[in-house]
Amino acid sequence: MQPRHLRVNADVDELADVRRFVRDAARDAEAPIECLDDLVQAVDEAATNVITHGYRGGPGWLDVGVGLADDRFVVTIEDAAPAFDPTAVPAPDLGVPPLARRPGGMGVHLMREATDELAYRPRPGGGNILTMVRSRGPRRKEKG
Amino acid sequence: MALTTTVEEAGGAVPVTVVALDGELDASNFERLIDEARGLYETGTRRLLLDLSGLTFLASSGLVALHSIVRIMHGEPPPDLESGWGALHTIGLDLEHGETQREVQLAAPQPGVARVLQRTGLDRLFVVHETRAAGIAAF
Repeated sequence: MQPRHLRVNADVDELADVRRFVRDAARDAEAPIECLDDLVQAVDEAATNVITHGYRGGPGWLDVGVGLADDRFVVTIEDAAPAFDPTAVPAPDLGVPPLARRPGGMGVHLMREATDELAYRPRPGGGNILTMVRSRGPRRKEKG
Repeated sequence: MALTTTVEEAGGAVPVTVVALDGELDASNFERLIDEARGLYETGTRRLLLDLSGLTFLASSGLVALHSIVRIMHGEPPPDLESGWGALHTIGLDLEHGETQREVQLAAPQPGVARVLQRTGLDRLFVVHETRAAGIAAF
């Protein structure tokens, strides 16, 4: 599949279009449903983080790229928001009862759960680039 | 795809409000759902069944909404969305260890939505029923 890109304004009302873009790309590449769901979840959470935490609701853009290499989907989220590394967010303690749990981290947690690899690097000239990799088949984490 | 909600009063001996969610619950609409639940509480709803059969996507912000709705149905003050789940420690103090709250229950989540609940441990916060009818009957 040829790499695809979508650029949207940093607005939560664009999230549905972002999800549709990723869903269409995964479907065209005949991704299994679990893989498709995971890609959509991971991208939605990443894009939401950029919009709400990166740009803090202010104006901005994000660029979503989807490619497929060696049976692995590679998704990038690029933005020009202040530096924020979601991979540095500590994992939530799921052993704590849900009603007593500390806030935050669920979006990043879901990104980790839905992907095989999550990598962050600063964007040259300012901003952030997040790369997420998800195998087409069952995730390595799930193969045990 | 937007989120639409359909509210129906149901139940026999125990009144239950059923809210069916159709579409996608994400950062663009989770606050609206919280507001709707607050409105229902103010007009007397104390037991709520969320029919998730038409929900095709659930984001982490949607989990915040589910969490907040539990808080609302327990008569707790409106959640502070800025602090997310930070203020939620007060709910459930009257629950025995391992006991699940029953004021808000879930019905018929699609596999993808059920996976999100399971991956975040939120499945332990709710009694989840296979069907809407079973959910109504359980209150």
